Amino acid sequence: MIDTATAPNVLVVDDELQIRRFLRSGFEFDGYSVSEAENGREAIRAATLRPTDLIILDLALPDLDGSQVLERIRSWSSVPIIILSVKSSEAEKVRLFELGADDYVTKPFGMAELLARSKVVLRRKTRAMTGDSVIRIDRLKIDLAARNVFVDEERLTLTPKEYRLLQVLAQHPGNVLTHQELLKEIWGLPHINDTHYLRIVVRKLRQKIEADPNRPRILLTELGVGYRLAPPNEPADSKAH
Amino acid sequence: MRSAATPGGAGGVLAGLGLVAAVTLILEVVKTFIELPPIAITYLIPVLIAAIRWGYLSAMVTTIAGGFCSAFFFYKPTHTIFVEDPARRLSLMIFAIVAVVAAHLAVRMRRESEVVLKREKEINDLYAFSRRLAAGHSTSEIFDAIQRHLSTVVGRRVALFEPRRPAEGKPEPIGESDVPQNVRAEVTAVLAGHATAGMPIADHQGNLWLVRAVSRKAPDLGVIAIDLGRQTPESEEEIRARIEAVLHDAASTLEQLGLAHAITEVRMRAESERFRDALIGSVSHELRTPLSSILGAATVLRNAPAVAGDPRLVALANVVHDESERLNNEIQNLLDATRISGEALHPKLEWAEVADVVNTALERRRGPGAAHAIDVDLPAKMPLVQVDAVLIEKALGQILANAVKYSPPGSRIKIRGWQEGGVFALSVSDQGAGLSPEDTAHLGERFFRGRRHVSSTPGSGLGFWIANAFVAANGGTIEADSSGEDKGTTVTIRLPIPANAEQLESISSD
Repeated sequence: MIDTATAPNVLVVDDELQIRRFLRSGFEFDGYSVSEAENGREAIRAATLRPTDLIILDLALPDLDGSQVLERIRSWSSVPIIILSVKSSEAEKVRLFELGADDYVTKPFGMAELLARSKVVLRRKTRAMTGDSVIRIDRLKIDLAARNVFVDEERLTLTPKEYRLLQVLAQHPGNVLTHQELLKEIWGLPHINDTHYLRIVVRKLRQKIEADPNRPRILLTELGVGYRLAPPNEPADSKAH
Repeated sequence: MRSAATPGGAGGVLAGLGLVAAVTLILEVVKTFIELPPIAITYLIPVLIAAIRWGYLSAMVTTIAGGFCSAFFFYKPTHTIFVEDPARRLSLMIFAIVAVVAAHLAVRMRRESEVVLKREKEINDLYAFSRRLAAGHSTSEIFDAIQRHLSTVVGRRVALFEPRRPAEGKPEPIGESDVPQNVRAEVTAVLAGHATAGMPIADHQGNLWLVRAVSRKAPDLGVIAIDLGRQTPESEEEIRARIEAVLHDAASTLEQLGLAHAITEVRMRAESERFRDALIGSVSHELRTPLSSILGAATVLRNAPAVAGDPRLVALANVVHDESERLNNEIQNLLDATRISGEALHPKLEWAEVADVVNTALERRRGPGAAHAIDVDLPAKMPLVQVDAVLIEKALGQILANAVKYSPPGSRIKIRGWQEGGVFALSVSDQGAGLSPEDTAHLGERFFRGRRHVSSTPGSGLGFWIANAFVAANGGTIEADSSGEDKGTTVTIRLPIPANAEQLESISSD
């Protein structure tokens, strides 16, 4: 269940009535308040009219392409948006992440998975509002203000590129950053296709922060798309799940 | 074709006369030291040189000049062309006959060797052309090969225009891209089948362009524009006739090769590929949309308060969920299989971490594999491989799914990785049904299913075939081993490690 005082508003955008129906039930059982839109224009209007905390956006809409809707909404709002699509090409995912999607779920999917992902993007929004500069993931603690990184409270020595990678990812915890975005942020535009730079630095960073670098729990791979950090620990970690 | 070695008739004649003069001078010098035998025969040297290098006319003039010089400078009385000694007169006549015959033979020999050289060049050109054709899969590759061939045989700047349907926009030149506007207009007219005057067109720089359909019989071969350069009206006439002749030969070669047919075939193939893609897209959408509703609704249902309290209802909701999941996997397999048989696999090769591939495959198979203990044993230090990680993950996923399907719940599945020379090997071992020797032999076939499992275990028999195709597309191999029935199976994927993988380790993270 969501622990905010008022129920978060989720806007479900899909032209299929049956999909909207089960999404409504699923979200309502979990304590959300749900509104629906069945095409792109309606979605954009609904997002401007009602306070919305989260948008679930299907890509195949009858009037506008889902990515157009995403772009339009992003032009004025940073509301978390999770994309639904039957296509699962990695190139498509990369494009949508770069347009500002917060997450991407391939149809068919289970409600539990969508709820888990919704929770992550909603929490990120709360964090952005509180402006907390310390992020804890598993045994890792990143202090963005002091530029320090700890594992089990022991300070790590990171190279500049390793720190930069962690910093960029930590600024969007739980969010996938594409290979190109990371390469551009860390090495600059000329190296945007040098994926091997990224692989090597990820490998070195994992050796420092992961208990088992071959089974990472913190710095996670989205195969063919990019990397993301695992969701941060809950403020009171013990009662999670 | 006249040889490039012929610097026109007049040049050859002058060169021949020059040689005669040189020989005469040398003989004059030599004469002051020794008494010379009959001289005329010496002039055979310039005659033969002239015949070989400059042709018949030059050889004849050289013969006459040589005879004249012998009589005038060396045979008594000197400085007249009269020859006193009958034996010398005879030797002069013999010289003339021998010179004419030898010149004739030399000229013929030269022509023959020229023909041989030219044929050799033509054969080489044709061979290069056919190699490019054989390598061409798309129409643009075929037209590219035709353009190169034509520009070789014509020996000038050549632009080829592929015939297009109106929807495809204006024709774009292949090869020479710098084609002036008025020439393009003519090309468009010829492509559209309009009759044109067929005269060369001058561009703004005064260069003449010849525009022709490559073949009248096969309009699919396109239209060619040839840059003739600056020409006077007379030379233009000659060069045009020559190019028309060459073009005619080339066109009949192209017609014989059945190129027009090949082009149509390639077009149809592209068309059917588009159709197939559209079909795949629509099938995947049409089947998956209702499936998404069913699967999603089942997951909501089993957690709904009214259902979650009753184990029997939860079990029913799980049936709906698991079976839709299975249906979804089968649809995915069919889509993958269509991609493979349509050769629509274009692996996107990138440096990848093997551990990432393994972890993703495990993550995706989390649900149904829960009944098996999966051990992973990867070396701490692994090379990067250059593969399409998504395809390799799908292949590994198929193999894991098979291991789960054909081994009893609760048994162990082991994933192991190791480096052997220039190859990284990744194996999945189970303790399940194993393979009979007969099974192993048929494993790579599409839709093959072990006879023992056809009735007991559901499946389409596509999994291993898909895995095999995905790994092969990445330059790897896949192999299944079993000590026999019920003795478990080990499937090993081997991926090449690029030679420079080691160097990557030195990339700085500072």
